[in-house]
Amino acid sequence: MATNSALAGQATAPESHAGHGSDAGHVVLRPADVKTTLIASTTAGARGFKRWSIVLGVLTIVGIAGIVLKAVQSLDDQTEWGYTAAIAAFLLTVGGGAPLVAVAPVLAKANWVRPLTRLSAAFSLMGVVTIAIMVPLVAVLPPLVTEGARRRSIWFESPDLTPHVMIFLAMGTLLLAGLGLFYTSAMPDFAAMRDHSTGWRRNVGKSLARGWVGSTVQWRTLRMRIGMFGTFYFLVLIYTHFVFTSDFAMGVVPGWRDAIFPMYHSMSSIQAGVAVTIIAAWAARRYLGLQDYLRLDQFWSLGRLLFATSLLWVYFFFSAFIVFWYGRSLADIAWVDMFIRGPMIWAFIPGMFMSFLLPWWWLIWNRVRTSVNGPTIGAVIVLFGLLLDRMRIYVSAWSVPPEQIHERYLHTIPDTVWPDTFDYMIIVGALSAAALVMLLIFRVIPIVSIWQTQEYQLLSKPVKYLRGHGVLVAKPD
Amino acid sequence: MQQRRVLDQVETNRILLNGQLNTPKWWLPTVLGLGVVVLIGFVIIGFMVNRGLGVTGLSRPVYWGLFITTFVFWVGISHAGIMISAILRLTQAEWRRPVTRAAELLTVFSLLTALIFPLIHAGRPWRIAYWILPYDFARGIFPNIRSPLIMDPVAIGTYLTGSTLFLYVALLPDLGNLRDRTRGWQKTLYTVLALGWRGNPRQWKLQTVGGILLSALMLPIFVSVHSIVSWDFAITPAVEGWHSTIFAPYFVIGAVHSGVSAVVTMMALMRWLWKWDDFIRPEHFDALARLLIVVATAWLGFTFLELVFAIYSLDAPEIALRELQIFSWPWNLMFGVFLMTGYIIPVGMWLFKSVRNNIALMFWTSLFVNIGMWLERFMIIVPGLSRRTPFVYTWDSYRPSLVEWSILVWSVAWVTFLMLLFSRFFPLVPLFEQKESQIFVDKIKIGRVNVPAILREQE
Repeated sequence: MATNSALAGQATAPESHAGHGSDAGHVVLRPADVKTTLIASTTAGARGFKRWSIVLGVLTIVGIAGIVLKAVQSLDDQTEWGYTAAIAAFLLTVGGGAPLVAVAPVLAKANWVRPLTRLSAAFSLMGVVTIAIMVPLVAVLPPLVTEGARRRSIWFESPDLTPHVMIFLAMGTLLLAGLGLFYTSAMPDFAAMRDHSTGWRRNVGKSLARGWVGSTVQWRTLRMRIGMFGTFYFLVLIYTHFVFTSDFAMGVVPGWRDAIFPMYHSMSSIQAGVAVTIIAAWAARRYLGLQDYLRLDQFWSLGRLLFATSLLWVYFFFSAFIVFWYGRSLADIAWVDMFIRGPMIWAFIPGMFMSFLLPWWWLIWNRVRTSVNGPTIGAVIVLFGLLLDRMRIYVSAWSVPPEQIHERYLHTIPDTVWPDTFDYMIIVGALSAAALVMLLIFRVIPIVSIWQTQEYQLLSKPVKYLRGHGVLVAKPD
Repeated sequence: MQQRRVLDQVETNRILLNGQLNTPKWWLPTVLGLGVVVLIGFVIIGFMVNRGLGVTGLSRPVYWGLFITTFVFWVGISHAGIMISAILRLTQAEWRRPVTRAAELLTVFSLLTALIFPLIHAGRPWRIAYWILPYDFARGIFPNIRSPLIMDPVAIGTYLTGSTLFLYVALLPDLGNLRDRTRGWQKTLYTVLALGWRGNPRQWKLQTVGGILLSALMLPIFVSVHSIVSWDFAITPAVEGWHSTIFAPYFVIGAVHSGVSAVVTMMALMRWLWKWDDFIRPEHFDALARLLIVVATAWLGFTFLELVFAIYSLDAPEIALRELQIFSWPWNLMFGVFLMTGYIIPVGMWLFKSVRNNIALMFWTSLFVNIGMWLERFMIIVPGLSRRTPFVYTWDSYRPSLVEWSILVWSVAWVTFLMLLFSRFFPLVPLFEQKESQIFVDKIKIGRVNVPAILREQE
């Protein structure tokens, strides 16, 4: 019993019990207004867009220069690339996890997520930047056979350069799956742009809509494809984290055997994905005037998700920590010395505070979660915390001299590695490039999905409930 | 909710209170039969306590065997209640309603049963008292309080207390209902237990808030319990196959897989025995099976990671252990059965909607899962201990004795016996949840189509 967005035009708008501009309650929007407002959002704030594009573009060039200069200086020295590995891991964590916000609640038929699906799916395209940063890292990564002996790896007896190839294969597949999810779910909106916008946007809409007319068959296929791409994306994401963590963290530290680490990485990716979606939704409200589309309901639900994922983050962290701390074998002690109380303790303590303690204390309050700014502040804290956490892990791991790679455990804990000028350039450049990608995407297509919003309007109806208000939410099969 | 039949409150009461007001004919003989099995089990336990652990198959180096496996198994089953009740309540999943009470009950009874196993495994259970009172920190001659072996009873005790409270709070409205429909000693019992429940708005509000708060409080306990059980093993570097960082979430997800499957088994039995076709419908099995596909696949992922990172280190003893588990007789047979029954057969079948909506197939596949999950715990615990290791002057293969198998059978009979006894006095499907769901369910007309809808209150 599928509902169809083609029915959008037939819906008559029932009365709203919350006026426009109010964050709480259910707001009723006319389908035509939805289309007009959201298409107009792609052209809103042209001056600001231009200014920010230039700034981000320049910073991206600075980042590229940083990578080139670092490569010239130390392509043969693995220990110099810790911060680059950390920023690559951070971008994979953030950009990889965000689309799951679009996937998981949709599979559970949660309607609140509909206005966020476009936004979160678009983050997968940040993978372009991550793949670019991986190029020098892969060049620096030692082959499986070094100094005449095979090092520990998840690839066991595979050819020497398997990790180098597999990471590109995994990240490339992830990017394609993300693109597939993003594009498939955007087709009806491209058709709307084809029919209702002008200039180059109309041409883009025409070529990307691929003959979309909203027939029953097209809608059915669209839903099926979204489900398939969503599931596939999730599986590839887990696989990518598995490969990345094994080859670019565990594989370069002797004696580090940590079965939960790929899952810890994936878990923090979901946490970061929720956080970045909140921040992007806040920015869209603030700068594109989408208050009627990205409402309290979305921030409240995302705030709860951020709270839950922060708890899960600490659970996964502690599950590993207690085994190393209590185990007290030489390899266990080395792990604690290296990653907790060792050279990166400056990142560990604030990272722990910002990834778990502060968001937990902040988001536990219902009043904070039921606001727009509350979850946003929590999300900013979480993202900073995760950046520090990635630095703790990857800078430590990459600081181990390759000569030790065949040892049974780490005999000597390396000194703290501080970022140099090139590292700062790469970090700023990578973050700017990722932001620029997002900025450009939402100049082409609305940040809030038109058809998802229209469908949500169809599927929900404000009703009186006892002496208060309620919403009747349809759950089609 | 396509398969729902609209029932008025009187009819709902009549059908769901049939266990208490009109006891079915099969109930007494079944309870008596199980009672006999339970009694024999207690006699065997008494025999073992009298003779000592020599009557079991346990010996050096396999000092943890079938009892600890069954302990972990029942702790796992206990995760059903909170998974179904607390998580689905917090996420407002409408299909949870007929299942919650039975799931919570399974939690309480399986925890009670789990607690018995370490006690009897100790050989002389009365000596446990010396571990607790007085607890001697100063001279360090008593067990280490930081040890998971001490944290286990603390965590399980907290979980049991919380689960019982959770069950009781949700039972209050139904107790009030029973109080008003019974006479004599039963009325007195329900009057005392109902705590003056009248169903006024304040009481409903408190009951709802209490339920939500308890749900939120129970979640961390639920996760911590099986994590602590897993650390009994994981913090031991001396036994290959145990010292793994993934054990905590691996045990938790396995417990959810096993617990939710046990709920499916129980739901099928409830539907058949009490003829609650209007309340426990194929759509509930369908929803649970879909949940189980996700949970089981996540569990398989954890199993894969556990295995990969065990051999990742390329340590010879670790590789030898995995060879023993996967390729050596009889472990290879067990490994095959575990994989087939724990994942391949059930999940392979649940992918088909016709299976998910078939109660008999769901019953059998969910039973398969728990056979597989019991074997999984056995495969984790025993092979690691039974390998020859340096500095062990004696070793022997482990073969559980008849006493151990009898106690395993007793535990299943004991939980079933307690469930049936409970069903005689309290409704297994919450009445108030059913009535509430009748109010919250509606339809929205979209074009020419009526789409099922749920009412959600707004702040």
